[in-house]
Amino acid sequence: MSTLTKILIVLLTIASIFLCGIVVTYVANADNYREKYTSQKSERDGLKEKTVSLSEQLNNKIAEKDALEDKLNREIAALNKQITNLQGDLKTINDKNQILELRVTDMASVVETSAQTAGTNGQLLKETLVELNKLQSQQIKLSAQLDDTSATLLEKLAIIQTLETEKKRLTEEKLELQGRLGKILQPTGKAPAPVTPVTPQKDVARPAPVISQDIALKGLVTAVDLKNKMASISIGSADGVKDGMKFHVTRGDKFICDILIIDTDTEEAVGALELMQEQPKAGDTVSTNL
Amino acid sequence: MSPAGRIRGGKLIAADNLYTAILGLALCIVLATAVFVAYKCYFQYGTFYEIP
Repeated sequence: MSTLTKILIVLLTIASIFLCGIVVTYVANADNYREKYTSQKSERDGLKEKTVSLSEQLNNKIAEKDALEDKLNREIAALNKQITNLQGDLKTINDKNQILELRVTDMASVVETSAQTAGTNGQLLKETLVELNKLQSQQIKLSAQLDDTSATLLEKLAIIQTLETEKKRLTEEKLELQGRLGKILQPTGKAPAPVTPVTPQKDVARPAPVISQDIALKGLVTAVDLKNKMASISIGSADGVKDGMKFHVTRGDKFICDILIIDTDTEEAVGALELMQEQPKAGDTVSTNL
Repeated sequence: MSPAGRIRGGKLIAADNLYTAILGLALCIVLATAVFVAYKCYFQYGTFYEIP
């Protein structure tokens, strides 16, 4: 065997080992495309089944959607009909509302006129009440003056009656004395001289002027019992207060009420409230004359 | 051709049967590779030649 043959044998063997090693390594590490194909196919079949099922579900959902859409369309039609009816009712109510607003406007003008009239009447009433209060105050003053005048008149009448009785008695006594004197002077032939009174006789009798008795008792209200309409004052019988006297209660220039004395003590008196214009309180002035 | 080694000119020379054995080994390696590739092709694709 030649040397060249031997060298070729060795090189062929080495090349065979190298190439076979490469082929074996490649084949051993190559991907199993069949297994991949099988798995991809099974996965594709599963996806196909899933697609079919999803398509069925989609069809069912579409059917449900159509049914629901029909139902909602019917409801919308019914609601549109209701809206139309309600719009008609609203129009009718608006017409009625306009009529009522016109009536309210008319009534408001009437009420305004009535309010103005009432205000005017109220003002007149206030003025009338003020005037009435003034007249009542004047009436109270005049009543007090009338009472004083009546008392004075009665006293004067009593005095006049007493004086007339005295005058009558003196006239009778004078006639009797003149008779006696005539009888005494008759034997001597003398006649009694005419009597010349010292006090000159007035010619015309004139009415006496009205004298308002000024007792001038003044005091203060010490306590008030509004429940029983009673009040006590700070002056009593020691100051000249007697039962039945009437005191006027004032606060500044304002007339409050009258107090008719029903019980007197030495230093205070108690009376009933009359003609009460306002509520009296402790500290108000009481006097017999206004 | 004797399988016994010979000495030529003071050098040890391999026998010819040794190269025959090396050649047989190379052949065996090639055959084993071909069998392995065929096995892989058959069990992965189900055939030796065709594309499934």
